[in-house]
Amino acid sequence: MSKILLIEDDEVMSTIVKRILQKAAYQVDHVRNGKEAFEILEKTGFGFDLIITDIMMPYANGFEILSRVRNLPGGRKLPVILLSNAGVDDMINEGLKLGADDFLKKPVLPAELLMRIRRLLNEEAT
Amino acid sequence: MNFSLLDFLESIFFEFRYAPLIIQVAIIFVFVAVTLTLLAYFSILRRRFRGSQRDKKITRLNELIDDLLIENVLSQDPETVETPGQTAETAAEAFHLPQFSKRWGRQVLIDRLLNYRNNVRGAMGDEIRTLYLLLELDKDSFKKLKSRKWNRKVRALNELSSMEIGVADVIILPLTNSRNRELRAAARHAYIKLSKNEPFKFFDLATEPLLLWDQVELFRIITTTRHIAIPNFAQWITYSSNKSVISFCLKLVVHYNQLKAIPAVLKLLDTKDHLLRAEAINCLGKMKIADVEDKLVYIYNNQPLNCQIEILKALGRIGSGKHTEFLRQEFMLSTDFELRKHAAKSLTNTEPPGSELIGELMETSTPENQLILKHCMNPLIKF
Repeated sequence: MSKILLIEDDEVMSTIVKRILQKAAYQVDHVRNGKEAFEILEKTGFGFDLIITDIMMPYANGFEILSRVRNLPGGRKLPVILLSNAGVDDMINEGLKLGADDFLKKPVLPAELLMRIRRLLNEEAT
Repeated sequence: MNFSLLDFLESIFFEFRYAPLIIQVAIIFVFVAVTLTLLAYFSILRRRFRGSQRDKKITRLNELIDDLLIENVLSQDPETVETPGQTAETAAEAFHLPQFSKRWGRQVLIDRLLNYRNNVRGAMGDEIRTLYLLLELDKDSFKKLKSRKWNRKVRALNELSSMEIGVADVIILPLTNSRNRELRAAARHAYIKLSKNEPFKFFDLATEPLLLWDQVELFRIITTTRHIAIPNFAQWITYSSNKSVISFCLKLVVHYNQLKAIPAVLKLLDTKDHLLRAEAINCLGKMKIADVEDKLVYIYNNQPLNCQIEILKALGRIGSGKHTEFLRQEFMLSTDFELRKHAAKSLTNTEPPGSELIGELMETSTPENQLILKHCMNPLIKF
């Protein structure tokens, strides 16, 4: 069972994503901001197969989280998906430049989210 | 000593009665002030207490809604359900609880469903919409739309547009021209989202201005709403008496690269309003209409500063190199710093002849002009 770290401050959005992922048999840990994300990453020694992070968040935004993850030895190859509102094309470029593996616009399409995760985890659709 | 409360009050009363008038007035003033302060504190406390009780109730109800939605909608896979709406039908039964028979409970449910709907699309988003309809929450929204209070109307419009529930033109169109700014904006946004065939029909009726912030919001909605019917904006550029509508249409012409609207934009070059004229020149430049270059150069000397700046910018954007000499003259001879700056920027944007000229100008210009050229050649600086 792949383990996913979800970093999202919006309560409803995190409930939805968590539920979609759990339904697809992923183990999900959810944190609300960058500070909590680094605490759990350090605690588990980067024990996740994938990170999904929102961009606009308190303490540290998605880009800061992404660049800090990429600068740490355990995080260089860890797949990261950025999640943000529609109409932010500049953000997509910025995120991809910083080393994001994929980008999803809100509102999310459950099937698209799962397809992208499976692609990054090299899994076959069930 | 036997001293009762009655004696104490009696002594205060006698003190007050035989005191000088000014002291009596002062005592009454102090008494009223203290009483009012205490009442104000009490009212604040009461309001905060009721607010916190309400928040707790809403939190508890939100948790219940989340549980019901997770159990009945999110846990189902709408992609695999054979009949659309089947998941919502099952979920609707689970939502028949006493909490949702009260008005405040239904409002909390509407808000929560909207939140879910705004975060998820596809079949799951459609199921949430169907659930909203099955629970007859649209009736609550329509009731709010008939309210006399503008804030309730705004709320209703947001709910109906987010849930994509159609509203009759006779109800919504008058609101797009309301004197209340918030209501007007909400109605316009809702109209664009909900009207399938003529989302811009309210432009015909708009007498109230489209403020800049409204334009930004409208632009966001227009560009993010899917399957929106895009009309020919020339009709409003030509016939609208609302300048802000014309200005907004010019921006939309650029965004949709609507070449068929160009003749209408060209006619605006003869308008008496210099602000609109400047916007028309800006539009033509952004659309890179090379045929208009000669006319722009021809009218240049009769224009106010803002139009002259837009003409210089347009020549740079079109960048054909046909009027390099004109730009050079403006750069060398103009007494206005802004004009020299924009002429220089346009020269740097033109085709090779302009680039050659820049080398020559760098050697022959005054130190100040050289500085302007260097500034304009920096690709990081955009204006």
